[in-house]
Amino acid sequence: MAAITTPSEIRAGLEKRRGTNTGGQIFRTLLLVALVLAIAMIGAVLWSVGVDSWSLLIERPWSFLSNPSNSSAELAGVAQGIRGSVTLAAIVAATFPVGVGAAIYLEELADDNFLTRLIQVTVRNLAGVPSIVYGLLGLAVFVQQLRGLTGGPSVISAGLTLGVLVFPVVVITTSEAIRAVPQSLRDAAYGLGATQWEVIRHQVLPAAMPGVLTGVVLSIARSLGEAAPLLVVGAAPFYSTGVKNTLEQLTGAFTALPMNVAVFARLPADTWAAHAAAASVVLLVVIFVINLAAIILRNRISKKLGR
Amino acid sequence: MTATETIEHTPTSSANTDHREDFLGLPLPTMGSRAVAAGLELFFFILVALGVYLVEYFLEGNITGFGLSNWWIAFALMALWNGWTYASAQTPQGTLTSHFIADSTGAPAAALTIMVRQLIRFGLLYGIAILVRGVDVAVLVLVGLLAGACMFVAPKRRAPWDILAGTTVVTGFPSGAQLELKPLTSIADLQLDTKRGRQDGRARRLLFVAGLFSVLASALIVWSIFREAAKFVLDDEFSLDILTGIGWFPRRGIFDLWTLFVGTLWITGIAMLVAGPVGLGVAFYLSEYASPRVRRWLKPMVEILASIPSVVIGLFAISFISPSILRNIFGDIGIFSILAAGIGVGVLTVPIIASISEDAMRAVPNELREASYGLGGRRVTTALRVVFPAALSGIAAAFIVGVSRAIGETMVVFIAAGGSGGAIYEADPREPGQAITAAMASLGAGTDSVAGSGLAFQSLYFLGALLFILTLVLNVISDGVVRRFRQVY
Repeated sequence: MAAITTPSEIRAGLEKRRGTNTGGQIFRTLLLVALVLAIAMIGAVLWSVGVDSWSLLIERPWSFLSNPSNSSAELAGVAQGIRGSVTLAAIVAATFPVGVGAAIYLEELADDNFLTRLIQVTVRNLAGVPSIVYGLLGLAVFVQQLRGLTGGPSVISAGLTLGVLVFPVVVITTSEAIRAVPQSLRDAAYGLGATQWEVIRHQVLPAAMPGVLTGVVLSIARSLGEAAPLLVVGAAPFYSTGVKNTLEQLTGAFTALPMNVAVFARLPADTWAAHAAAASVVLLVVIFVINLAAIILRNRISKKLGR
Repeated sequence: MTATETIEHTPTSSANTDHREDFLGLPLPTMGSRAVAAGLELFFFILVALGVYLVEYFLEGNITGFGLSNWWIAFALMALWNGWTYASAQTPQGTLTSHFIADSTGAPAAALTIMVRQLIRFGLLYGIAILVRGVDVAVLVLVGLLAGACMFVAPKRRAPWDILAGTTVVTGFPSGAQLELKPLTSIADLQLDTKRGRQDGRARRLLFVAGLFSVLASALIVWSIFREAAKFVLDDEFSLDILTGIGWFPRRGIFDLWTLFVGTLWITGIAMLVAGPVGLGVAFYLSEYASPRVRRWLKPMVEILASIPSVVIGLFAISFISPSILRNIFGDIGIFSILAAGIGVGVLTVPIIASISEDAMRAVPNELREASYGLGGRRVTTALRVVFPAALSGIAAAFIVGVSRAIGETMVVFIAAGGSGGAIYEADPREPGQAITAAMASLGAGTDSVAGSGLAFQSLYFLGALLFILTLVLNVISDGVVRRFRQVY
């Protein structure tokens, strides 16, 4: 057993044993390559979409945004898609209370029994179901069974389908936000004689609000990018825009921005490639703006609550 | 015994029972005044509604049927509005108006207020109904958003609609919402046999129903899929030549699942070849190498990739991956190919694998890393031989979830793989092909025409059932893996 003498000897011995760090350098380089690849993917997507759409967006930006879909490439626009996406977002937003309520139930009220575990398991599994399967649900339930209420393949059917699609996401994000609320807040309110509902309504929900709203807004952004369920529910690639009243618009033919992209992308590329790219740009801008709104909302509410 | 008697005859409790005035200094409402107040509200509501109906009748000559006329819209909204204000203007003794009716001098003013209030409200709703009809839904939504934003920013939230309701402006008579109601607290209030207790019970029941919705949604998915899928399997035309390897042509009655399986397998495999190394590399870098400052910039960038919709990636596959990358490698490859679709799905899967693996690695306690460094381990040794084994189950779960997402990804394959309607069996990924999801999308894209053509419509659900079971199994496995991983720490 060699006796260890001075620090400098230890250092020298260690360096001798370790040798040069080639393996570490190679590993680090590989990781950097992976990182650069991932960032290059983002860059390439944004760049290719931007370049392809440039000519169209320079040539006629306003008529592209305000024209309905058209079989002639010079006239076609995404106005119907924008209108459909906005309406879809509103309907999806209207379904959020169910998800938030389910999360409150799971986090605040539920006892640990069979039913609670069933609810938890179903929420987790719903989160993993592919979006196109939700389209089948929408087709069978909202389009066919509830045709009288939704008017068949309409924006209401599609919006409710997307509402079911984001339900598990809303439940999971809301649950996380509620779990982060300190128990002392609840105890203090109970100590003052509040009922459980009053504790939830006046203490837990306000404290969890930044997290809840962020999750909710992000799931709107997610639902706006979904095209597969809309395809199955029956979004129309082209439809004529007549003068319609509110009810007819809600129960009639519809389309949405991702549908516009998909339809343009499957048309012959030499005339329609720019349209697909330009519709993608509009969709991306909408989604980024919503994401930005989520961040601003979160900061603003956190400030308002003094946290 | 004397002590209990003193408590029962405390001055406060006797003052409470002899209370003849409410918090406004008015006499307490009686059953009579409460009935009169409710009756007046209802009477003027009906009167105003009837009056407007008659005016409309004489001006227009006829009412446009009993469809959804402006009058009906206004009437329905009005009923809701009145119900809401009636509920919100409740004091422990009755509605706010009933307090005023109970006082003989206040009664005429209260009656007048009710009349004016109903008139203004109905007029307002009628105007809104006229305006709203024929207006674009999207415009309505935007106006609603704008109004919501104003309410959010405005310091006094209730001001707009209280002024619109016109109660204060016209008669100086406050509506329930404006008055800070301070209900008289008594022992009965604290024993929850009151409005608060009932409210609590109602809210709990409502939240329970919301929780049940997840069970309902799952049941609906299973029901809607398997009902039609069973029809497909049980049909006479259905036979087991679904694995012959001819091609997938549902509208011609050729249901060759093998074509779709091979397509899905190729696409999932290619996607994982792209996303596995890149996602894992990003996760390793973010968790083990990046300084907190670098991490703060890099993580949102990865999240940007996650927020790009799949249709855009599908477009990217045919407008960039095929012409700019694959053409340079393979020469004369078509724009639409399984390979391009697979790479596109891979791009979508990167952020999923990266974020779940990174979470797993960051969940590894720092003591393990410090112990490794303390024993003279290098960063690479620590990452690969300490952190990686410790996070292995989480990383495995990330890969399973990634596979499940890749199998379920629809739009990229629908746009980039080139199979529309049907597809010939193809084992070469450089050729166009079809996957389960994309086949469903093509079927669904023409649901109107699908309905008429034999089993094609049912085959849509059959594929859905396959997809559902496949992803469910994968998710259950990854859940099990994650649960084991949680038990370690």
